[in-house]
Amino acid sequence: MSNNSAAAHTLATSNRKWAIGFTSVVSIIFLLNVFILPNSNTQVQRFFNAWFSLTSMAEIMIWVLMALGLNIIVGYAGLLDLGYVAFWALGGYVAGWLMSPFLSNFQINFFGNAREGFEFGIHFHVFFVLILGGVFTAIWGVIIGGPTLRLKSDYLALVTLGFGEIIPQFMLNGSDIGGLNVTNGAQGIGGLDEINLFGYVIGTFAMPEKFLMVSLLAGGMIFFSIRLRDGRLGRAWLAIREDELAASMMGVPLWRTKFSSYAIGAVGGGVGGVAFAILVGGVYADRFNFVISIIILAMVVLGGMGNVWGVVVGAAVLSWINSIGLVQVGELINNTFGTKFNFPSYQFLLFGLLLVLMMLFRREGFIPEARIRMVMNEDKTADEEKLSDETKIGHH
Amino acid sequence: MIKSIKIGALAVAGALALAACSGGSDSAGGDALVVGTDLPVQGASADASKSTNEVVALVLEQAGGKAGDYTVEIKEYDDSTAAKGAWDDAACAKNAQDHVANTAEVAVMGTYNSGCAKIIIPVLNQAGMLMVSHANTYPGLTIEWDKGEPGLYYPSGARNYARVIAHDGFQGTAAAQFLFNEQGVKTLAVLDDTQAYGIGISDAVQIEFEKLGGTVLRYSWDIKAGAINTSTFEKIKAGGATAVYYGGIFDNNGVQLVKDKTAVMGDNTVTLAMSPDGFSGYQTLREMPEAEGLWMTFAGKSLDGIKKGGGAPAKFVEDYIAKYGYEPNSSYAMYGGVAMQVIMKAIAASDGTRQGVLDAVFAGEQICLTAEESVSGMGFCLNQESGDVDTVTMTLQQMTAGVETDIKTLDIK
Repeated sequence: MSNNSAAAHTLATSNRKWAIGFTSVVSIIFLLNVFILPNSNTQVQRFFNAWFSLTSMAEIMIWVLMALGLNIIVGYAGLLDLGYVAFWALGGYVAGWLMSPFLSNFQINFFGNAREGFEFGIHFHVFFVLILGGVFTAIWGVIIGGPTLRLKSDYLALVTLGFGEIIPQFMLNGSDIGGLNVTNGAQGIGGLDEINLFGYVIGTFAMPEKFLMVSLLAGGMIFFSIRLRDGRLGRAWLAIREDELAASMMGVPLWRTKFSSYAIGAVGGGVGGVAFAILVGGVYADRFNFVISIIILAMVVLGGMGNVWGVVVGAAVLSWINSIGLVQVGELINNTFGTKFNFPSYQFLLFGLLLVLMMLFRREGFIPEARIRMVMNEDKTADEEKLSDETKIGHH
Repeated sequence: MIKSIKIGALAVAGALALAACSGGSDSAGGDALVVGTDLPVQGASADASKSTNEVVALVLEQAGGKAGDYTVEIKEYDDSTAAKGAWDDAACAKNAQDHVANTAEVAVMGTYNSGCAKIIIPVLNQAGMLMVSHANTYPGLTIEWDKGEPGLYYPSGARNYARVIAHDGFQGTAAAQFLFNEQGVKTLAVLDDTQAYGIGISDAVQIEFEKLGGTVLRYSWDIKAGAINTSTFEKIKAGGATAVYYGGIFDNNGVQLVKDKTAVMGDNTVTLAMSPDGFSGYQTLREMPEAEGLWMTFAGKSLDGIKKGGGAPAKFVEDYIAKYGYEPNSSYAMYGGVAMQVIMKAIAASDGTRQGVLDAVFAGEQICLTAEESVSGMGFCLNQESGDVDTVTMTLQQMTAGVETDIKTLDIK
């Protein structure tokens, strides 16, 4: 077996193990909530609801989707995007427009599940909305990416930051665009249709089913991310990330390759936005702020830029910490030691501290990609060698 | 792989051990009925929420922890996250599911933000669970506003939501009537802060003012910190407006807004200015010379008004200070206590089930609080069709020597 095929075999085996792990975790959570917890005593139910509630688990899967989308742009192609929340917003509003009574001048029902008495508006089946959400954000990825991807590093980051601000601001102020109410402004769009799958309605309280649905979407994104990375396009992205000039010299079309990463990465945000709107039951412009873009970026960086499984772990950990982890740990400390710390008020501090510690002691992320680990170690080795040389010179 | 399984097994074992040791994070339990409070405990509203939770706890404590024959406990829910530093739609969706999943929980006191209420009400509605808010002022939650509202929030077709504070429609109406009838303003500039609360209240002012025969110049102000709004005021001045209404929250670049208005249109003796309760309770505003003479409305009785009113409500404020060592942080906190009183009345009149508690508000004998028993000093009955209060006390205030001074109270039926 040649070195290349041995490496490919090792990678495939590793991916298989992780895939089995992901499927097992999803299956365990689903089965636990459907069969075991309902028959458990109240104490156990309370524990799992407090520490690992199904709603939070579903939310984690959506963050995973988002982070994987951004990983294509930042982790694979090395393009720093500080405005990814814009794609989340666009996806969310696609769900708001196509799955609710909001656009009340229309009365369109395309396999949708309009509530009785609220047949006005547009009601598409969730399946189509997910596809359209992905396509719509990909188009916007193209529109935004087209004029900006010729820029590099800091300049590109600033422009993406600008778009990340413009689109949510448009959503916030879009209640009167030339007399048309496009986004319902700060009020947001509520009352999204429930999902109807071949006659089976996934209602408000069908959280296990909703969890399974978002897990499937996250699983699909993982699959595509891995397949894309291993393909010709993925290799071109990685080449650009490592050395743009060298990649160009090797015949990689820079603009087209970057462009595709932006459009494909945007799809993750769009599909995640649709899924999130369905989970919450609406879309509200308040959510789409700069901090969310930074959190998603932190998930990618802390998890391990470029490594799909690292990003999955990073998104899961940060999302859990943000939604329930820190609050629960705080309560546990208060209950155990009899303290009365108002833990939530220190959340920003603790969250920031975690980020700083990670950057100090494990800046390559939880599960770094082999290439990035190599680069980091190269830097470290070079620094050590330099220091050693300087010490020797000092001794002489 | 075996190593991964071992790690997984250890994690599960650890989790279960934690469960056994910690007893969960749920302090409420046993045979008591639980009332959940749902507030943003982190970020800008943290202090107001802390105070509200304390007022709610004191109301229950003074009732001996009981509502009628039932022992009641409180469980606090947080609908904000560290990342947003404010209410979070995902946290609201999670809380909604958690309220329903907690079988001992019979009612929810909250939420603070109307946006969060829009997410929680439909979920609780389908579980037949009562929710009483102390701070949601968006009109569409209870009355016709946008198309489809309020039915959109009640999938079961029956109501499950009430509030003890007047919605923005009342505050906007009162402001428009005061400016048109008592101050003789014929052309009014209404500025909103592009946020849900600001737009709602500005709409209400505009609708009523135009209904009275006045002219409204409508603008939004730039809420980014330090952003200048002088060009907007130049347009307003050119449009002939003789008064300005700040429809929004002072936090949203209010300092610069008030300064810009004064710079272009003169102080409040030259061009009258008015604001809703989104400008109440800010020390920074009180200390601004440009704010002198600003007219304000507060939907309900201000904390000052409650204290001056004497009787049981004033005594409650004294008890609060004695227990916690400081005054309630905001007037809304007192209304949290009123919402808790409504819930306790409903529990007392119920059979101890969720449906029973809900029926006590919307189907049984009307829930009423007298001015003496309500911790806000405001007597009212809850309208069983809309869930709104039937009597609205509106306090008209004016900034005088850096103090929000009560001028008069208006009872609007």
